[in-house]
Amino acid sequence: MVNSEEAGLQVLRRLKSTDPPTWLAPNPSLAQDARAASLHLFSSLQPFAPKSPFDRLLVDGFDAEQIWQQIDLQSQPLLSGLRRELRRFEKNPAEISDLFGGGEAPEGKGKGRGGGVDDLGGEGMEVDGFVELDEDGDSDGEEDGEGGAEERGVEGGESGESEEGEEERNDVGIEDKFLKIKELKEYLQKDEAREYGLEDGSKKNKKEKKTVASDSDEEEEEDEEEEEGDDDDDDDDELGEFDVDDEDDGGMGKLGSARYEDFFGGKKEKVAPRKYRSSDGLESSTDDEGEENGADGNKGNHNLSTHEKELLDLKAKIEQMEKSNLEPKTWTMQGEVTAAKRPKNSALEVDLDFEHNARPAPVITEEVTASLEELIRNRILEGHFDDVEKPPSLPTKAPREIKELDENKSKRGLAEIYEEEYAQRTNLASAPLSFSDELKKEASLLFKKVCLKLDALSHFHFAPKPIIEDMSIQANVPALAMEEIAPLAVSDAAMLAPEEVFAGKGNIKDETELTQADRKRRRAKKKRINKAEATKRMAKKGRETALNRSEGKEE
Amino acid sequence: MLRRNIRLRREYLYRKNLEGKERLLYEKKRKIKQALEDGKPIPTELRNEEAALRQEIDLEDENTAVPRTHIDDEYAHAMERDPKILLTTSRNPSAPLKQFVKELTIVFPNAQRMNRGGQVISEIIETCRAHDFTDVILVHEHRGVPDGLIVSHLPFGPTAYFGLLNVVTRHDIKDKKAIGTMPEAYPHLILNNFSTKLGQRTANILKHLFPVPKPDTKRIVTFANQSDYVSFRHHLYEKDGGPKSVELKEIGPRFELRLYQVKLGTVDQTEAQIEWVIRPYMNTSKKRKFIGD
Repeated sequence: MVNSEEAGLQVLRRLKSTDPPTWLAPNPSLAQDARAASLHLFSSLQPFAPKSPFDRLLVDGFDAEQIWQQIDLQSQPLLSGLRRELRRFEKNPAEISDLFGGGEAPEGKGKGRGGGVDDLGGEGMEVDGFVELDEDGDSDGEEDGEGGAEERGVEGGESGESEEGEEERNDVGIEDKFLKIKELKEYLQKDEAREYGLEDGSKKNKKEKKTVASDSDEEEEEDEEEEEGDDDDDDDDELGEFDVDDEDDGGMGKLGSARYEDFFGGKKEKVAPRKYRSSDGLESSTDDEGEENGADGNKGNHNLSTHEKELLDLKAKIEQMEKSNLEPKTWTMQGEVTAAKRPKNSALEVDLDFEHNARPAPVITEEVTASLEELIRNRILEGHFDDVEKPPSLPTKAPREIKELDENKSKRGLAEIYEEEYAQRTNLASAPLSFSDELKKEASLLFKKVCLKLDALSHFHFAPKPIIEDMSIQANVPALAMEEIAPLAVSDAAMLAPEEVFAGKGNIKDETELTQADRKRRRAKKKRINKAEATKRMAKKGRETALNRSEGKEE
Repeated sequence: MLRRNIRLRREYLYRKNLEGKERLLYEKKRKIKQALEDGKPIPTELRNEEAALRQEIDLEDENTAVPRTHIDDEYAHAMERDPKILLTTSRNPSAPLKQFVKELTIVFPNAQRMNRGGQVISEIIETCRAHDFTDVILVHEHRGVPDGLIVSHLPFGPTAYFGLLNVVTRHDIKDKKAIGTMPEAYPHLILNNFSTKLGQRTANILKHLFPVPKPDTKRIVTFANQSDYVSFRHHLYEKDGGPKSVELKEIGPRFELRLYQVKLGTVDQTEAQIEWVIRPYMNTSKKRKFIGD
């Protein structure tokens, strides 16, 4: 035994002394050492572990996972007991000295603890029973070497154990240095006392007793929970929730176990005084409304009903809100605030958020550049550019007229042609039309018009109108117009004298100036003229038709 | 020159006056053309004028077929001559701005740079008109970073005001060998995604800063519009043989242009009519795209 111990310690020391980097690469000797060390530790813990299935750790030929699980199986129940112990020691540090004072005390305590653990592990036993079943399944699985089943079974075992661990010491799982379940419980009690108006002294005591008594209750409830939990796939969180529910339930259980008598005392005796007191409480509360701390002051009177307390709360809140409404608002709540109206640098601290209505400038990333270059490449390959194009230039030279040679024999003899030419040359007066072509004539006419317009645009110097034969001479323009030194750009209307515009006699009336009689006269005149014309036309037609008929008859 | 100006002004007013009547005529001609194509009888209101209009339709060519508006008229004769550009800055330019303007002078063919000194804008415009410049470009800055570009077409042309963003100049790239020299051949132009009317107008303004290129130049200037931000890029390309591969080498500055105003006069005409101005504080301006998709 000693030898093995020695060996184990040696191995442990060796493990401790190896350099950390050597652990990085898989090393068979180190693995061996580790296994030996874990074996040693397992066996040293063995006497304290309550009913672990393995007498010694099975190391040979087992996977790391499997070894770990064996260790787990052994140590989980231990852990809870150890934690309990630790907390107890935290509270009563004196006990530690007691422990170390008596040499045998640790063992005895250990046994006592073991017993204590066994108590709890009374259920632990039951749970163990479940776990054992699972483990049997595990071991079967392991022997058969079916990985899947094994894993599942192991997981179930693990979760079962974790559940057990969790629920047995539900506090341990949730607690850390911030959250202590005991403190939570106390706070809850106090708060409920405040809310539900239980009297301090007696109620607290009762509660304490109840806590002590209901510990077992809790654990029994937890047991039931456990069994349920076993069946499901549980997360620790869910169990945590169960725990909280347990807590609440336990709490409510504590309150729930309070009876009518606790609130209202004996049904016959204390009803009236209680009521009186509660009404007192109300009155006092109404009196104290004026106080700012009225609510707190009234809460001193625990005899108000729940509803009244709520009303008080509301009233306090309303008061506070009304008061804050009367005060001037913070600058962030005011509408338009200039720099003068708010404290210095306060805009830097506030998280301002407003909508920008302009699209933000594009960030030129690699992708943008790449896409642009793609576009350019495609355009180059297509050869499709948006260059400026030269406008089609107007032909400076008229297209050469292709003279078609007429191959037919000319109708006129040569002598006649010569005769005409001679006549043309000598007789300048009777010069026939120099342009043979109609189109040419038209073109020259148009061109002259254009030239006239251009001249008018460009200068005020008068140039006489070209003599175009077909141009209609305006009758309105007097003959002297041609020699007038008036600029061409002036409109023709101004060139005419007013008499030339309108020659009329008598009292000329505009349409709007006519009286009714005048209008009637004009209408009658029109009708007379029309009638005359109509009869003339009819007469004409009559004559024509008569002629036609006669002609027809003649034919 | 004075008389020429007077004549030009009168021409402009006359043509603007005629625009309404011309539009009517154009409409009538179009209706007749449509009826003739469809084989339908000519609408009754045009029966009297039909003969004359028919004749005119026959005599039309592509220039006269389209009714002219006075708005884009400024560029009617621009295509007949190569553009001549003058580049200047705002007053007291910083050194980086001067470098940027130098680069731009090489980017725009047929462009000249002038020191601003203490000249007034109207003076500049007058001298440019006298010397037959077609465009004036002013570049503004903010603490060394160029941030504004004003393109003004000269004979009373439109003025486009751009804001510059994300400017990267050739001077910023320290490695001179990598970037090499800039060729001065007339470049090909790529104007992408200028689909709305305003986009077409902007494209026109930018297009007429460049002359007609030779078809085989290797230099490419790109104005690509993406949600109202126009990216300017300047590349040299090489076609490597048959397989459709094109190698692009970026030269020249790159920047984003953001149009914020188009005026129907030159820079010195402060009371000119505003054709379009950006409205960033309107609630729906975020959803609308004014230049392209």
